[in-house]
Amino acid sequence: MRWIPATRDTLPLVLAAAGVALFAAPLGCQTGLAAPIAAEHDEDAAPVRGGTLRLASFGDVRGLDPAGPIDGLSMGPVHLMFAGLVDYDPQGHVVPDLADHWDVADDGRTYRFVLRHGVTMHDGSELTADDVKRSVERALQPTTPDLFASYFAGIAGYAAFTGGKAEHLAGVVVEGRDVVSFHLDKPNATFLFLVALHSTRPTCKSAGSKYDDTWLPCGAGPFRLPPGGWQRGTSLRLVRHDAYFQPGLPYLDAVEWTYNMQALAQRLRFEHGDLDVVRELTHAETARFMADARWRPFGVVQADVNMYGESMNTRMPPFDNVEIRRAVAAAIDRGQFARIQPMTMTPLTQALPSSLPDYDPSFEGQRYDLEAALEHMRKAGYPFDPATGKGGWPEPVEYTMYDQGLVSYSAQLLQQDLARIGLRLRLKLVSYPAFLALQERAGASQMSQGNWMLDYPDPSSVFDELFGSGAIKPEGSVNTAFYRNARLDEIIEGAHGEMDAGKRRALYREANAIVCDEAPWAFTYGVHFFQLQQPYVRGLVAHPVWPIDVSRAWVDRAGTAAAGALGGGRR
Amino acid sequence: MLFDARARARFAKNRSAVAGAAIVGALLAFSVVGPWVARHDPFESDFAHGVGPNGMPVGPGGGFPLGADRIFRDVFARLAVGGRLSLLIAVSATLLASAIGAAVGIVAGYTEGRRVARVVSVDGVLMRFVDVMLAFPFLLLVMAIGAALEHTSAITIFTTLGVTGWLGIARVLRAKTMQVRALDYVLASRALGQSAGRILLRHVLPNVAGPLVVSATVLVAQMIVADSVLSYLGVGIAPPTPTWGRMLFEGQDYLAAAPWLVAAPAVTILLAVWGFNMLGEGLRDALDPGDA
Repeated sequence: MRWIPATRDTLPLVLAAAGVALFAAPLGCQTGLAAPIAAEHDEDAAPVRGGTLRLASFGDVRGLDPAGPIDGLSMGPVHLMFAGLVDYDPQGHVVPDLADHWDVADDGRTYRFVLRHGVTMHDGSELTADDVKRSVERALQPTTPDLFASYFAGIAGYAAFTGGKAEHLAGVVVEGRDVVSFHLDKPNATFLFLVALHSTRPTCKSAGSKYDDTWLPCGAGPFRLPPGGWQRGTSLRLVRHDAYFQPGLPYLDAVEWTYNMQALAQRLRFEHGDLDVVRELTHAETARFMADARWRPFGVVQADVNMYGESMNTRMPPFDNVEIRRAVAAAIDRGQFARIQPMTMTPLTQALPSSLPDYDPSFEGQRYDLEAALEHMRKAGYPFDPATGKGGWPEPVEYTMYDQGLVSYSAQLLQQDLARIGLRLRLKLVSYPAFLALQERAGASQMSQGNWMLDYPDPSSVFDELFGSGAIKPEGSVNTAFYRNARLDEIIEGAHGEMDAGKRRALYREANAIVCDEAPWAFTYGVHFFQLQQPYVRGLVAHPVWPIDVSRAWVDRAGTAAAGALGGGRR
Repeated sequence: MLFDARARARFAKNRSAVAGAAIVGALLAFSVVGPWVARHDPFESDFAHGVGPNGMPVGPGGGFPLGADRIFRDVFARLAVGGRLSLLIAVSATLLASAIGAAVGIVAGYTEGRRVARVVSVDGVLMRFVDVMLAFPFLLLVMAIGAALEHTSAITIFTTLGVTGWLGIARVLRAKTMQVRALDYVLASRALGQSAGRILLRHVLPNVAGPLVVSATVLVAQMIVADSVLSYLGVGIAPPTPTWGRMLFEGQDYLAAAPWLVAAPAVTILLAVWGFNMLGEGLRDALDPGDA
């Protein structure tokens, strides 16, 4: 019985060939990058209507109904299809969108929106205040799988409506064809941010008053979904909404996403000109492109919207001891963490990422200080002597993690850092669903990596969910540290109703100081998106809130522009 | 004697076998000695010397003979430490699989054609079970078990590989046992009233040891691949412990920018698999030239 063919006579040759092939194959990939594909016109050319913008992702969109379960990938197309009463400008400020203007009355308890006239939805109907109320009620129905529904619990009548005791949401009042007001139980300074979220954005009448996942998404955004435009798991094509209320916008005829495309394939197709933008380059690929002077001007960096930290379960030893948590916060060399991916990571030393308007770079927060960390270990009653390796916490600390590049690398660096203060981490590798279940279950995980993407650009999006005691649950707790601080809860409650921006900012400064000091999380780094685009992609700039916003993008590539150019093509 | 002078002579004349033995020996030596001669701790990042331009790890040369990995640890040191674990798991799993496979194969072969209480054929039951198990793709089965384990360690991995990898050996030894049991000395032992257990241990087992050793040697190569696949798919041993498969997994995203991250473990796995295969083939030729 022969297991493999005899190789005696050819052995040296075969071995040499295999070795050469294995080393040469990857080296072959090191050949230079293809040149960028130049734009047809000068940089100051006026936007030209026409063309299709092509993007890709290794994942797949979870859904396209704004009230349904959407994920990070869904946000791009959902934002293009559904305009809101308000939105964010390129600086991240809330500005009117479908609303012409709004006013706030009753000390922050009433928000009244006056709609623009003549907004045409994708089905050709005109937007009215009834559409707004119906869409809000549709999103907040108890049977709707809206991830953000609880944010709207402050609307008057919410409990009766979601409890089935009222047919309509009493706090949303139609005051005329173009006027709708929201009445809240108590003042809420974050309400405009909530209105800007996707879930309650106006939908066409075909959406009805109840969520139905067979509905063909239809809104009032700059792009619409044509029949057959979404091939689940494969691709999504949105086409221009010709009756969009913003004159002249959008410029593109269509936007196309291809899903389930691996990062390497994306890079190759991008280089070949078959994709116009890539957002999922590996760190190595990013470094290669940015090292090439021809490509460097076409890399776009977004502000940090993802924050990472090491979440310590404050109800489990050893992290029920605040000194141990302080020791961890001081032992992490964040500068070294960020060197794993310097293109997309920045050290994070406080609870607020740099993308927030209230971010204070002068606030010291948590900083690396090994001596201080050792002192905290001593105060905790577990002194550690780095010279002899004796002392420290006597048992291994279990660190729950899943196997993903950045998570794995930072966990191993953390393990090295904490070993220097006498905390020995044992990395427990589990699947991603198991990771979420364990991390969010009381008493199930001593330590794990926390990751938070802001729902809206306000400190409340961090403190309410991550550190407020109201977010603690036996299962599915977003407060993964199970951290409880009475003063912090007071601040969270007070800041919600505080309509004075200066006082509110001061409250959150105090909250930031408490969280950094008591360290339910040891903050580690922020991550921002990096996207690379061909030179012929114009008007696509990083947005401080949305992952990608192509509403003002246009394609300046030979042969793609339609005859109906705006402004004659050249300025 | 299993490996007598004639077998040794045949083995020594077989260049492929000698090369296989040399490769296996070299890898063993590398795994044992490597961590001691490496200049860096395999578990410690070196931010002072391991970081290259744009945050990429430095390539082979200088203080890092095989380059640095993504968190700036010495690939050479990790490859050596990983070799200890990868080879230990492969050899341990092979020993377990060989023990199970030998027991099943020998019992099945010896009892072939006989029925217990005229109803059940032990051989039939065992071999049908083997057939069913062989119908499952080996790696798929191993991956399923690996994924089902909430927490993996070296012990769980070698046990998983061992209890799923014995089927081929059972088949080979069943066939060989059926040959041996028909030989005169076995018939004589039975005629003298020796128990089945004694016959199997004293007469059958020594005479099927050659195919067993050959099969086991080749199986080590398969186990190295299986262990690498498990690690590559993320159901192997948790970091920071290196295995060759895990190093391959961690390097795949950097194929173009840092090819040494993939090339070093890939070439090592290739050499290990090749070496054990050639060694097994050479042992087969040396121990049982008639079958060659």
